[in-house]
Amino acid sequence: MKKIIEVKNLTKEYKKLKAIDHLSFEVKEGEILGLLGPNGSGKTTTINCLLSLLKFQEGTIKIFGKDMHPNSYELKRKIGVVFQEIAVFEELTVYENIDYFCGLYISDKETRKKYIEDAIQLVGLENYKKFYPKQLSGGLLRRLNIACGIAHKPKLIFLDEPTVAVDPQSRNNILEGIKRLRDSGATIVYTTHYMEEVEILCDRIIILDKGKILAQGTSTELKELANIDEKITVEVEKISEKVIDKIKRFPTIHEVNLNMNTLIVTYKKGQDNLGKLIDCLKDNKVVYSKIFSERPTLNDVFLSLTGKELRD
Amino acid sequence: MFWHNFKYSFKTLIRNKTLLFWTFAFPILLGIFFHMAFSDIEKSETFDVIDIAIVENNTFHQNKFFQKTFEAFSQKGENQVFHIQYVSLKKAKDLLKKEQIIGYLQMDDEVHIVVHSSGVQETIFKYIVDEVISNQKMIEDLASNEIGQEYSKENATIDYNKIYAEITKLVYSDTESLDNVSKTNLSYTMIEYYTLIAMACLYGGVISMFVTNYKLANMNCVGKRTSISPISKIKILTGSLLASYVVQMIGLALLFIFTIFVLKVDYGEHILPIFILAITGSLAGLSLGIVVATFVKAGENTKTGILIAITMLGCFLSGMMGITMKYIIDKNIPIINKINPASMITDGFYSLYYYPTFHRFIFNVVSLVIFSILMIFLSLQGLRRQKYDSI
Repeated sequence: MKKIIEVKNLTKEYKKLKAIDHLSFEVKEGEILGLLGPNGSGKTTTINCLLSLLKFQEGTIKIFGKDMHPNSYELKRKIGVVFQEIAVFEELTVYENIDYFCGLYISDKETRKKYIEDAIQLVGLENYKKFYPKQLSGGLLRRLNIACGIAHKPKLIFLDEPTVAVDPQSRNNILEGIKRLRDSGATIVYTTHYMEEVEILCDRIIILDKGKILAQGTSTELKELANIDEKITVEVEKISEKVIDKIKRFPTIHEVNLNMNTLIVTYKKGQDNLGKLIDCLKDNKVVYSKIFSERPTLNDVFLSLTGKELRD
Repeated sequence: MFWHNFKYSFKTLIRNKTLLFWTFAFPILLGIFFHMAFSDIEKSETFDVIDIAIVENNTFHQNKFFQKTFEAFSQKGENQVFHIQYVSLKKAKDLLKKEQIIGYLQMDDEVHIVVHSSGVQETIFKYIVDEVISNQKMIEDLASNEIGQEYSKENATIDYNKIYAEITKLVYSDTESLDNVSKTNLSYTMIEYYTLIAMACLYGGVISMFVTNYKLANMNCVGKRTSISPISKIKILTGSLLASYVVQMIGLALLFIFTIFVLKVDYGEHILPIFILAITGSLAGLSLGIVVATFVKAGENTKTGILIAITMLGCFLSGMMGITMKYIIDKNIPIINKINPASMITDGFYSLYYYPTFHRFIFNVVSLVIFSILMIFLSLQGLRRQKYDSI
């Protein structure tokens, strides 16, 4: 598959702080690449460097096979960006905002009109065309922000945390819209610290921390890295150290953690882990109110790689 | 693309209530304030003959031109401007100390004016002396040309008296018109209205700074979005700057309409030159806004503060808040007022007041245009291919 983005050895320093540390990765045509990492991990800085907004000390960036510079107007024509912050004019209506930004790419009025309608439909703002940004809720504003970034039907889209502080209804709407963009042939770079979104949307994921790539691959590949096959969470009234030691001696156990009244048991692999744990709790007369098993999440991967949670 | 940017920049500016207040409403409110504060003063104002002294020495006695001119200004009657005492330097200083005169004139290698304080009478004194000096220079130049031409002819005979008489006649007609202009138009209120127009022109910088900030990725998110578009910043900015200029012009037009038709301000016979000066002055204000937006690396509020501080300083140095400052700067650091747009505007207005010809006015208008073009050019160069260390 064609490489849409090629980044080699990208390094960006702010005085003494290394925001991006020798970053190398590729994005292939038609895929959604997720950049996952906690706040300050270098996701937005990476995007700003790719867009030639920021100077960087080392490395090369090729987009659509060409070097990216501030005056690479032909490349910029194919790119759409949805910034983390709301980037719209307060003084213009929903329709006018989209028309203005789309007009920077599409000069033909008729084509632009159609594109604007498509974008409005994609984000579900049909009933708000004449509204001013201050009249919109946070979720609707985010949708407008997206429409302004993608109305010109770009081939490459950067979405920088587009769902921050968005209500569940708007979030679903936005995620559905992004899937439709991918289906229409766009290549997407999606940054977030919401692992659930990455799991739902992304074909490939890069986990970033302190400007470095910790791991990359598909969701399944990354989970294998964490060496966890199953996670069981139990809400207990009381449990003794003796019982915890017994659980720790299970042959496939990975880790046992007690946090307040929540016992989290992770397993490397194995079958019937839940049954064996319930038996153990019953035998030792441990009273529990809730017990459930789940597959490991990307947060568990991040935890096992860095020792901290994604949202820390 | 140009009109697309123009259209939306215009809409953005015209719907911004804060900007509208400062551009449209604030100058009008100030105009109302001036009207309320000065209209009564104006009604009771009468033009008094100005008491001055001239130091008698050899230089003054040898300068017939100065002698005759000041005799004309001190002739008793309706048009008398000065009451002159011809005294020694010591006596002149003494009269000034006792405030029996507002100032004295002393001639040696140069012409010196010493005044007691700043004020309208001192302003008139200063401008008339300046005018006499420039006319004397003109006579000398013209006379030397005439003499030169006569010498170039064979068997030339030169009638010095004729040359002097003709040129002096010319100068006296100028002097008379200067005197008339001073007497008919000079008022505190008019000076304040001119100051108001000049300030309104320069505050146009806030509008151009506002639209420029929207093109800078390090200023706001819209700037980031604009910076990643496939259009050069210069192209985008050109349409936006025209829009801000149009908005500024609308603001000025409203100010003129309001002062002329509601406050009944009489701008006299020079209304057209005043418009021209306001239009070029606004261009200078606009260019100042772009320069600050482009080259000052700070937040939006800091930039606004810096722009207003520069404007206020420029106004102060140009004499808008007391004409004495203009003299001090002109005398000691003349280059400052040569590059100060506020000074170019005020000097342009005052030249309409005090000079019968338009040479000085045109010089100021041309200076403002050159200043504006230079500032806009520098800013556009500064904006090209800009990448940031941090955003």
